[in-house]
Amino acid sequence: MALLTVDQLTKRFERETAVDGIGFAIGEGRCVALLGPNGAGKTTTIRMLTGLLPPTSGTIRFEGMKPGQDRREWIGYLPQTPAFYGWMTGREFLVYAGQLCGLSAKEAASRADMLLKRVGIDTAGKRRIAGYSGGMKQRLGLAQALIHRPKLLVLDEPVSALDPIGRREVMTLLGELKSETTVLFSTHVLHDAEELCDDILILSKGRLATGGSLSDIREANRQPVLSLETEGDLRSREWLAGWLKRLPDGLEAASATETGVRLFAGDLETARRSVLRELADNAADVRVSKLEIGYTTLEDLFLKAVSGS
Amino acid sequence: MTKWLVLFRKEWLEMVRSHRTLWLPASFILLGASQPVTTFFMPDILANASNLPEGAVLQFPTPEPFEVLASALSQFGVIGLLLVALSSMGILSGERSAGTAAMILVKPVSYASFVTAKWAAAVLLAIVSFAVGYGAAWYYTGALFEPVGWREVGASALLYALWLTLVSTLTLLFSSLLRSAAAAAFSSLAVAVLLSVAAGSLPFEQSWNPGRLSTLAASSLNAAARPLGGGIGSVWLTAAVTAAVIAAALLVAIRSMKRRPSEA
Amino acid sequence: MDHLTNTQLISLIVPLAILQAILMITALVVLVKAERTRGPKWLWALIIVFFSLFGSISFFLFGRRLN
Repeated sequence: MALLTVDQLTKRFERETAVDGIGFAIGEGRCVALLGPNGAGKTTTIRMLTGLLPPTSGTIRFEGMKPGQDRREWIGYLPQTPAFYGWMTGREFLVYAGQLCGLSAKEAASRADMLLKRVGIDTAGKRRIAGYSGGMKQRLGLAQALIHRPKLLVLDEPVSALDPIGRREVMTLLGELKSETTVLFSTHVLHDAEELCDDILILSKGRLATGGSLSDIREANRQPVLSLETEGDLRSREWLAGWLKRLPDGLEAASATETGVRLFAGDLETARRSVLRELADNAADVRVSKLEIGYTTLEDLFLKAVSGS
Repeated sequence: MTKWLVLFRKEWLEMVRSHRTLWLPASFILLGASQPVTTFFMPDILANASNLPEGAVLQFPTPEPFEVLASALSQFGVIGLLLVALSSMGILSGERSAGTAAMILVKPVSYASFVTAKWAAAVLLAIVSFAVGYGAAWYYTGALFEPVGWREVGASALLYALWLTLVSTLTLLFSSLLRSAAAAAFSSLAVAVLLSVAAGSLPFEQSWNPGRLSTLAASSLNAAARPLGGGIGSVWLTAAVTAAVIAAALLVAIRSMKRRPSEA
Repeated sequence: MDHLTNTQLISLIVPLAILQAILMITALVVLVKAERTRGPKWLWALIIVFFSLFGSISFFLFGRRLN
């Protein structure tokens, strides 16, 4: 069942359209990645969901929300670089955030203690936030987003500002959290999305390029691909340039360099045979260093979706 | 309402932690007391400082006590207003540019509560500071000169507190509109100066002008000068207009935060 | 000065001096504890000590960098 349904969401700024009529649904309990290069409209989309930015048009609807109810009650949000009051302690901020979400002082305090432990900064809870490291602030940011048990946890590039160790720690934490609540997080790193998510939404230039469950998308876009590398000597290069001009039917160059080529194939077996034959016929000229025959990865799809539209 | 109190308490705690609850009242006390004290010692100071010919006798008229209190008010009108404006000049722009406003405003909190809780805390501290400072001026005037009646002092304090609230609110308004904190302080002080100057120099009836408040406060100290300029009805009109301006400024500040809760 | 004894005068002035001292000491303590200040600490110390009231106030207003 869909927890959140977004329809025809659009944001136009004075000069550009940052988000252009996107629509998607987020199923309850799913972990969804909003994927796209920088400037694709990820942050704008997230800011509209959280209510920080009024949409130009379109609707954002939570299933089961009473009419007139504040959407923010259901959302926990961690911005790209969370900001805190440096003069507060981590625990004080969590209690403050909890009370602003409508928890009683007592409830907020017990949630705060629980979450400080949960994100692994309970020893720093009584210290001023001004002295926290970037990784600690990110964890505190996660804790404050979770303080009111939100139905949807929204994270904007949660790991992109962290060093490799902090990144790994937060990723592990997110892996645990996703079993507890619905998660939407944006990233420009495909690998992070693949590691954590059930569903992906790929944004490109403000439009939704593709979306769906990770396995479906992988399946639907699985295409045979051949990748060939030569040693790059003169004769190999000449052969390669010539061959690319007379590629047999069912082969299509995806990307080519002077020394190698990546080819999409209609049918894997035909393609394999025709490439091997071609190589055998030119065995004297071509110094093959690598030949790989397999299927497209999500990376190919991501690059295609991002550059294509 | 509970959430409003939570927001208000946070503002107050911030002022305590940054020691503003100490230095702002202390400054007002020292400013307020220094006026009667220096006036009292002025003859000695001048006598010691100037190279008067032998045998010259200095004659200073002893000022009326209400004049001493009025000069304390004019001290507040310059340095006091400056301190109030400077101490809260980043009240909204600071949170907006730091990103903390966005952190709070994604919680189910109304924008109106966010702004008015900040406003109430800043105004409360300004009024408390002024009250203790004016109290000190009153006490020292009574001890060193003659006592001034509490009715006169009370009336003038109320009028002046309203003026201070207006300047404080203007600072908050400009802090929501302008990115630079210094520009916000400057703008609110400039508006205050313009209103006061207009009230004092333009040749037509200005019961509506809140800039009249500081003059009204000073003149209400002089029991002999009653009734106040334009009569009591015109004082109420000034107060009502000021209250309306304050409410309007708050509405604009709330709208401005709604439109732009963060810098990006 | 006619109706006041010196003792009375002193008892009036001393509280003001104490208040001023409290303000200055607080400013100095905050200065010492502060991790970052705008401008060098020693300069602020001089300003606080030599410009008494206004030195302390300017430090509280402009001297500290929060966060």
